[in-house]
Amino acid sequence: MSAVDLSVFQNNPDLTLAPGDEQDTLVLSMGPQHPSTHGVLRVMLRLDGETVLSAQPEIGFLHTGIEKQAENLFWQQAVTVVDRADYLAPLSNSLCYVLAAEQLLGIDNVPPRARVLRVMFTELTRIASHLVWLGTHCLDLGAQSIFFYAFDMRERILEIMEFVTGARMHQSWFRIGGVALDVPVGFLEKIDDLLARFPQRLTDMRAIVEKNVIIVDRLVGVGKIGQQEAIDWGLTGPPLRATGIAYDVRRAHPYADYETYDFDVPTHDGGDCYSRFVVRLNEMHESWRIIKQARDRFPDGPIAVDDRKIVPPPKREIQHSMEALIHHFKLVSSGFNVPEGHVYQAVESPRGEMGMYVTSAGGNKPWRVRWRPPSFYHTQALMRLAPGNLIADVVAIIGSMDPVFGDVDR
Amino acid sequence: MAQFVETLVAAAGDHLLEAVAAADMDEIALYPGGLLPVVDRLRAQGFNHLLDIGGVDHHPLRPRFEIAYHFTAIPLDDVRADWRRSAAASGMKDLARLRLRVFTDDDDPVVPTLSHLWPSANWPEREIFDLFGVRFEGHPDLRRLLNPDDWKGHPLRKDYPLRGLERRFTPGGRLGAVPPLNES
Repeated sequence: MSAVDLSVFQNNPDLTLAPGDEQDTLVLSMGPQHPSTHGVLRVMLRLDGETVLSAQPEIGFLHTGIEKQAENLFWQQAVTVVDRADYLAPLSNSLCYVLAAEQLLGIDNVPPRARVLRVMFTELTRIASHLVWLGTHCLDLGAQSIFFYAFDMRERILEIMEFVTGARMHQSWFRIGGVALDVPVGFLEKIDDLLARFPQRLTDMRAIVEKNVIIVDRLVGVGKIGQQEAIDWGLTGPPLRATGIAYDVRRAHPYADYETYDFDVPTHDGGDCYSRFVVRLNEMHESWRIIKQARDRFPDGPIAVDDRKIVPPPKREIQHSMEALIHHFKLVSSGFNVPEGHVYQAVESPRGEMGMYVTSAGGNKPWRVRWRPPSFYHTQALMRLAPGNLIADVVAIIGSMDPVFGDVDR
Repeated sequence: MAQFVETLVAAAGDHLLEAVAAADMDEIALYPGGLLPVVDRLRAQGFNHLLDIGGVDHHPLRPRFEIAYHFTAIPLDDVRADWRRSAAASGMKDLARLRLRVFTDDDDPVVPTLSHLWPSANWPEREIFDLFGVRFEGHPDLRRLLNPDDWKGHPLRKDYPLRGLERRFTPGGRLGAVPPLNES
């Protein structure tokens, strides 16, 4: 690496050459169609040879106005658009939203079966999301075979999702007050089968990549960030834990009964791409432990609160009871009102702290759903992480931050 | 309400609107002039992580715009023990959170930037400028973030139409803007 004073270029948004700059630098637009940018990220790089002097990520290519759409749907309808932001972990998004709405409504009696199902499925989502990350990140680094191991396992998880919720990708299965449907007969066998297979598969995958010389060489010492800087740049989730700070929303501000589950918060002390790699691998194991505990305590009982003003009555009741039909009609045609107020609810999504600042003006639609997208802050930090590295390392850094552009651009 | 919130209230001075112990976290509502003094004080109290900056448009209520800042305190490992002791002494929970709601009005809404204190404030402030049209004084690079640079209007304002401006071919063959669908 050539010795260049990087401080001149850091945080310099203007990438055009100014008089007095070194004339042998090159401005390169990486993306938005570059395969390693996982969606639609464009990074403007200023290069000296192959060394990155400054990087300016540009986002917004996938901006679909989800926050605006949520303001114009009923409270329970908004679950569907909220799902579509972080499309690799849709259930984390809906969990965050329904918990926020439940706080505003003052619902604290969600039945145990629904609570356990929520935890079980968000943790399944975390594993599925980390498997996509593992496959594609290693593909970026040139490792082909791990991709098939990871996606095969993810397929089994999506199969269970489809079996229970009817959808592979955008389940929209959590509802304000509980979950939408009870699990079908045969669900527990499928979960048991998955739980039995997963540890061996994880061990196999770790054996392929974790100590692999090429992967270790590509990741160790690349994209290094210290504890103080990680906090200044707003990092959360695996990138923050990879610097050795054990901050996990499930521990720091427990929600959905996470305080009753026994799990560790994996950390690593390198702060580089390899640390983030190891943290995510360890997290998959912890998620497996949580799902196992949820499976063991899997209780019987209702799957949503018994409040007809919020949760529609079951279908077979609608066919016989006038009141049930009226409730159903009212809920579908005009929704329900939520008392005035505002609340910040955070969950630990696979990418980091996903928060929602939900404001209600007392009507049947959310007044404002403000997102705290973890990927947004992680993408922003590329400005800090990329300079000083080679172009090929930028690919590794983007992969190790694991941004999802539905989440960044919303 | 924790004791440390009272020092923040004192720092806000005349710019204070109200201080509330909300169900999820303590919150302070204030006018833009009080933001920097309060933030200085809460940084000294250990709130080192700026979680998020989000905008809310309360149209037609006044003051119209709310900028909500969420902070959390994440003690670094080497200072954790000391920090815990001093936090307990000032009545603060470990890993506490805090919300500031800054209210500003319609004609030329301006809020001071925090991007010189936290580099992470850069993009969310640009996003609020893009979607709400609130300017951040002192921001180094206040451009639109999610929308193209030549976009007209600020989409998350409540008076911005949901369906946007429909463009139709007029008989003369020229593109003309017609009023938004949901305002007719």
